[in-house]
Amino acid sequence: MKQFEYFSPKNVVETCALLKEFENDAQILAGGTDVLIELRKSSVKPPRAIIDINRLNELKGITETESEIIIKPLTTHTELGSSSSIKKHARLLHIAAHVIGSPQIRNRGTIGGNIMNAAACADTVPPLMALDATVKLLSVNGERIVPIIDFFIKPYQTIAIKNELLMEIRFPKLLDSMKSMFLKLGRRNALAISRLSVAAILRKSDSGLIQEVRIVPGAAFPKWQRMTEAEKILVGQKPSKELFIETGKRVSEAMISFTGRRWSTEYKEPVIAVLVRRALETCQ
Amino acid sequence: MFEEHWKLVNENDMKKVTIHTSVNHKHYELEIKPNLTLLSLLREELGLTGTKCGCEVGECGACTVLMNGKAVNSCLVLAPQIDGQEIVTVEELAIGNKLHPLQESFLNHDAVHCGFCTPGMLMSAKDLLDHNSNPTEEEIRTAISGNLCRCSGYQQIVDAIQNNNVSPLKG
Repeated sequence: MKQFEYFSPKNVVETCALLKEFENDAQILAGGTDVLIELRKSSVKPPRAIIDINRLNELKGITETESEIIIKPLTTHTELGSSSSIKKHARLLHIAAHVIGSPQIRNRGTIGGNIMNAAACADTVPPLMALDATVKLLSVNGERIVPIIDFFIKPYQTIAIKNELLMEIRFPKLLDSMKSMFLKLGRRNALAISRLSVAAILRKSDSGLIQEVRIVPGAAFPKWQRMTEAEKILVGQKPSKELFIETGKRVSEAMISFTGRRWSTEYKEPVIAVLVRRALETCQ
Repeated sequence: MFEEHWKLVNENDMKKVTIHTSVNHKHYELEIKPNLTLLSLLREELGLTGTKCGCEVGECGACTVLMNGKAVNSCLVLAPQIDGQEIVTVEELAIGNKLHPLQESFLNHDAVHCGFCTPGMLMSAKDLLDHNSNPTEEEIRTAISGNLCRCSGYQQIVDAIQNNNVSPLKG
């Protein structure tokens, strides 16, 4: 008979041992804002073990080195949104942290949970992907570091195997010359699940030409990706409204070529184009 | 539904968990089934029914309580997770028959219609005012953005929070 047991390990070693012991039948509990909803669904078979990792203080907090930001996975969205390092060196992530869920959700939900749950609408992922983040995973078999761009397979599925624990998220600080933005469109102002979002980073040279650009739409593709084709048309150019409109169009076309025309395309096609244009225009 | 589901599979096998916690500054040692939410624990085990059960998916905010001073949806906290933590519910606001200034302000501004969202609104407002004694209207609207009022009396609620006479000293 299936049994649900609750564990709250005190350190990472204990946690990895538990994950090994229960193999595919354990669920890690961080902020709980997704896990508890899943657990309540009568159609979902409960796991044998719930492993609450909230006692693992080594998985909390944000630190910075000279060139990098390191975020531990139990950092809540509230903490992320109020961190001065994030505001200064990764503005788009700061903005994303402020538009997730509601204050109550932001007080509980964690960046690690947002990544590992891997919903297509996860708001921290497009910024992290634009920031060239890597994630560190640990299990009894050892640790590995994976670029976040290679981490997701499809919605709700990542390359992490069941006994792996997310240890940290790390990315290079944005240079002062790199301006960034995250824009999200939901069905209501608060607590909105992203219908579409865009993370953008833009670097201009002293002469005002675009040197580098990174665009990652959210909730638009079955798997997040950089819009390399659309990015190319901007590099070396002088920023202009026409150019940004054209870039938006390219992203829209890329989305449709990937997902095909669906019932929602009529809506998403112009909206993603406008979000891209606005994100680029407001990169600051 | 949450509990019923598990009752079917492992009612007898469920290993209970012992927790030490503080609810409204009162210390409790509780032996509980791990599949309770904080919301069920408060309402059904401790009899604190001021916290309301609305959507149970973190959308409506009726079940908002303070956990270590921060507003959380008690429907999204697993009861064993409050071990070693401090919980404050709406019952803690009034002292005997004397209402908390924030509650007085809700009454004075007709901010209570059907009343179902009120405990959650009060707790979200308390979190805000504990950290920011003079919030702007925008800050107030953000603070209560996770709380739905089906009577849609938001303006009165915002006014009540803005014109509160909660001084930091009165707490």
